[in-house]
Amino acid sequence: MKPLLAILVMMLGMLPAMAELPVVDIPPGDTKTFLVIHPHHDDHSWASGQAGLITKLVDAGWTGYYVRVSNDEKDGPHGYPHDDMVNLFEAREATENLGIKDVISLNWRNDYMDPTPHNEIRAQLILLIRKYRPDLVTSYHPWGHYDRNPDHRKVSKAVGEAVWLAGFANVHPEHRKLGLKPHRVPYKFYTQRFDYGKGYEPNVVVELGESNIRRKARSFWVHRNVRLNGSTGRRMRQLLKDQGLAIPELEGLTDIEAHAWLQEWSMYSAARKVGGKHGIEYGEIYARLGEWHPWPGLTDYLESNAVEK
Amino acid sequence: MTLLLQRTTVALLLAGLFLFSAGPALAEGGKVVLVITADASDYVLAAGGTIAKMLDDGATGYLVRVTNDDKDSWELTAEETARRTREESEKAAKILGFKEVESLGYRAGELGGVSPTELRDRILFYVRLYKPSVMFIPNPYAEYVEVLDRFYVGQAAEDARRAASLSNYQPPFAVVGLETHVTPELYYYAQPFDPRRREAESTATFVPQPKVVDIASTFAKKLQAAQALKTINHSMAMRIKHRLESTGRHLPLLDDIDETSVSELVEINVRKLGAIAAKDTDHTQAEELHYAGVEYQIPTKYLQ
Repeated sequence: MKPLLAILVMMLGMLPAMAELPVVDIPPGDTKTFLVIHPHHDDHSWASGQAGLITKLVDAGWTGYYVRVSNDEKDGPHGYPHDDMVNLFEAREATENLGIKDVISLNWRNDYMDPTPHNEIRAQLILLIRKYRPDLVTSYHPWGHYDRNPDHRKVSKAVGEAVWLAGFANVHPEHRKLGLKPHRVPYKFYTQRFDYGKGYEPNVVVELGESNIRRKARSFWVHRNVRLNGSTGRRMRQLLKDQGLAIPELEGLTDIEAHAWLQEWSMYSAARKVGGKHGIEYGEIYARLGEWHPWPGLTDYLESNAVEK
Repeated sequence: MTLLLQRTTVALLLAGLFLFSAGPALAEGGKVVLVITADASDYVLAAGGTIAKMLDDGATGYLVRVTNDDKDSWELTAEETARRTREESEKAAKILGFKEVESLGYRAGELGGVSPTELRDRILFYVRLYKPSVMFIPNPYAEYVEVLDRFYVGQAAEDARRAASLSNYQPPFAVVGLETHVTPELYYYAQPFDPRRREAESTATFVPQPKVVDIASTFAKKLQAAQALKTINHSMAMRIKHRLESTGRHLPLLDDIDETSVSELVEINVRKLGAIAAKDTDHTQAEELHYAGVEYQIPTKYLQ
């Protein structure tokens, strides 16, 4: 065993350290818009959500819209239709906290999306892309592996195709009657749980500051219907007490407040872990597809030869 | 029953091994190459040079183009786009050396709403009709390919290749003389979107592996075929120009868009695609494919 162990240790030593990803630059965007497209009310603000990026874009002057594709009827303790309604209200509050201008809910039935025609979801997204003409769309990763949530898979595939097809005039030519012109989305920022195997190749990191994380953390627990409950807060404190431990910040808080504090802490922790791997304090990582992505043979040429007018 | 099916499949595969891998005696001259493509340009850009080499060496080529490419144009109706692209895709295929082109006519970008079984069986028909020794199909496992038609066609074609070898798929085909057929060699192609495209798969057994093919000898044909796709190329040039102009930039080459400037843009694209594939090899122009030959498809225990 010892020689084997020695070889293993040697091999581990030879493994390259995870390369630091380039920090992406967010340009000022007084006239720029972005769309966040997700199946659910709360997909933007969990550890692998884009709330940090959203706040960076908003701070830089961009206008953002949140598209919720499902009705979230399964998420929460109340059953439907109560959960649909509460989750939509909380999505509005959470995204408003991030600076998003509006939430458009498509209301497809949550977790029953397999029979929903792919082309129909895509058609709705193409319409919205042509309406808002985003410079950037962010969503779950259309090619991500091992995402067990069927809504994530369904919606991300529709997004992956809509951002491409929206640029072709012969796709839904009826939109012309509304004055909506074709629009190809130049930048796509895709995310997924970055510990879910291969298939997710992040290539940029978005650097976040304290203010970005603070808003992200709040938007996480603002989804009270699914994120907060007193019993968890109570149980966590009891667990700590059983081990002779205490978190001073939790003293004097109600059980619900204690749970909110712990949820916020988890957001800081997740962003710090990502940041630490890439030489910054807080971060979110993405697979960014740039404006010339459809033409890999022309990317270098266009970047070198296109000039300002 | 399952065991019987497995044994039958292995027997058919072994038959394929002896029929089609008998070495130089058969060479490419006895080969039939069946290429399945979602659209007019994908197979040309990703595998046109490799296919042209086989056809130059005497293989007979058939192309099945699944969609009608009716979306990829600039200021043309869908109908006119489809008509022009059909003519141009047939011209491109002739340049590469194909004998026939079959256009199935599905609307581009709409394959997500087409039954996968229907698509598979349309392709299966041609597998049994042409009895190819080599198939080229879009790689459905390639990531970051926004044109999902390529994914749907790749999945259907992969399934069709297998189903064509089993008699209980499409029994009516046998009634009209289309017998089962095993295609011994399979190439998966994709343009270089996937950053992990060169990583070896986890095991060589049953799994296609990355393969880089030198296409220097057929590069000129590939380029000429790509340039023949005038409607798609004009669309690409206009899209790039439009994007640049909307962001206060311009590309001198595209200040005046005409046939010459578009052809030059296509040449830059095709040359660079070849250079990307040739990276870290001795080749100047290459294509990256995933290849599953007979040796990958027969379990080792049966080969011993």
